[in-house]
Amino acid sequence: MPTSQPVLRYKQPEKRYDVIVIGAGLHGLAAAYNLARYHRVGRIAVLERRYIGFGGSGRNTEMIRANKRAHETLPFYKESLEMWDGLSAELEWNLMVQKKGLIALAHSDGELAVMRMLSDSQRRAGIKIDMLGPEEVKKMVPSLDVSDKPALPVAGAQFHPEGGTVHHDAALWGYAKAASRCGVDICAGVEVTGFYVEGGKVNGVRTNVGNIAAGKVHVAVGGYSSEIARMLGVKYPVVTIPMQVMTTEVMAPFLDYYVASPRLHWYTQQTLKGDLILGGQLDPWQSWNSSTTWQECSERVAFILEYFPDLAHARVVRSWSGLCDCTGDSAPVMGPSGIDGLSLDIAWGYYGFKSTPACGKYAAEYIATGKVPEKIRHFGLDRFYNRQRVREIII
Amino acid sequence: MPFLIDCPNCGRRSPYEFKFGGECKRAPDPGADVKAWCDYLYLYENMSGVQDEWWYHTMGCRSWLKIRRNTVTHEIIEE
Repeated sequence: MPTSQPVLRYKQPEKRYDVIVIGAGLHGLAAAYNLARYHRVGRIAVLERRYIGFGGSGRNTEMIRANKRAHETLPFYKESLEMWDGLSAELEWNLMVQKKGLIALAHSDGELAVMRMLSDSQRRAGIKIDMLGPEEVKKMVPSLDVSDKPALPVAGAQFHPEGGTVHHDAALWGYAKAASRCGVDICAGVEVTGFYVEGGKVNGVRTNVGNIAAGKVHVAVGGYSSEIARMLGVKYPVVTIPMQVMTTEVMAPFLDYYVASPRLHWYTQQTLKGDLILGGQLDPWQSWNSSTTWQECSERVAFILEYFPDLAHARVVRSWSGLCDCTGDSAPVMGPSGIDGLSLDIAWGYYGFKSTPACGKYAAEYIATGKVPEKIRHFGLDRFYNRQRVREIII
Repeated sequence: MPFLIDCPNCGRRSPYEFKFGGECKRAPDPGADVKAWCDYLYLYENMSGVQDEWWYHTMGCRSWLKIRRNTVTHEIIEE
């Protein structure tokens, strides 16, 4: 509903809080909202050094899905995918959740075999998944070239009917508004520059507007987690790599599904507005520079044109990239940090957006109770020391 | 191209000719405990600024180079 009132007001931070969340992206706001709504933890502040959604929350490709591999983590992704359904009503904000279905193309028998294996794991976890032949794919996506003209023809596909899209800005503002309404102070322009840690316990943070005391601090800074690590004098198992995304001009509706090729690292979808979102390959080297790289973008476009030759006339109107903090096992780091009172929600690299609702729920549960919830038990930092790394695929 | 890498054998070349080998780390002593080795294997400084890193010239002389690069600005710092 249009309104003349702003949906939220930024606040100046007070001198003392019970919980401080660093980072006003989707994960930080979701954690703060869940804490304020479902747990009694007192005063909560979200500190953001730029503006809300500056990082990955505003730079993703809006995809939601649960077609992962590792059996330890599939229930978590499944729950997150289901949570999007009720979220618009809960946040009283239309998130434009559209479970249009995700088609992942295979280009060889070997890839089809891998997809069948993935499908079995996913079905076992209760996720709906189907295998399709090239003709079935053609019926669903008439504009797709399934002939043997492309260098790597379509050999088949995996169909994930519950995958789809959510408008990322809507999700961001929905969470920000709901958190604000629950009494969370959202403070933009407040940069954390250090931590007060005494006897292995966190006491507060140092910021550009003065010191703020807090017994609990939650780190949800997305791709910038290693900067937090340096303030604490530790290292995290992440490398920061940018991912490239582009969008075309608005076209008449022609693409009903999210279509991806895991092999050639491209995916595309037509948004409700009509533009195509094209992505997305990680740059081949570590970088903290979020400018567009020509090589990655032009390769994506060339691959997509092989399979959608009718798009040759379409013009790319915008491109952007976001920083992904990637772990070696493609799973995130959540839970204890080794410092009392300091909790982590980092390393979400490639799939932080789709996990937002469940992350908010379980991060809040961990902060409030101090016990690691069962569903994020496998995401701990300790997995790197006791041979419990998650056996995940890269995307 | 975001930057060029000065290969001592081949001259200034596109970074797409190279394979990125990650930041330079110091290996622990052979007798170090498992924790030290896990730290070495899995943890990264992940510097937002100047760092020393390995690059392998896959499409050139096939040798490993140590490059000092600013990961924010992509500036190569010559020694």
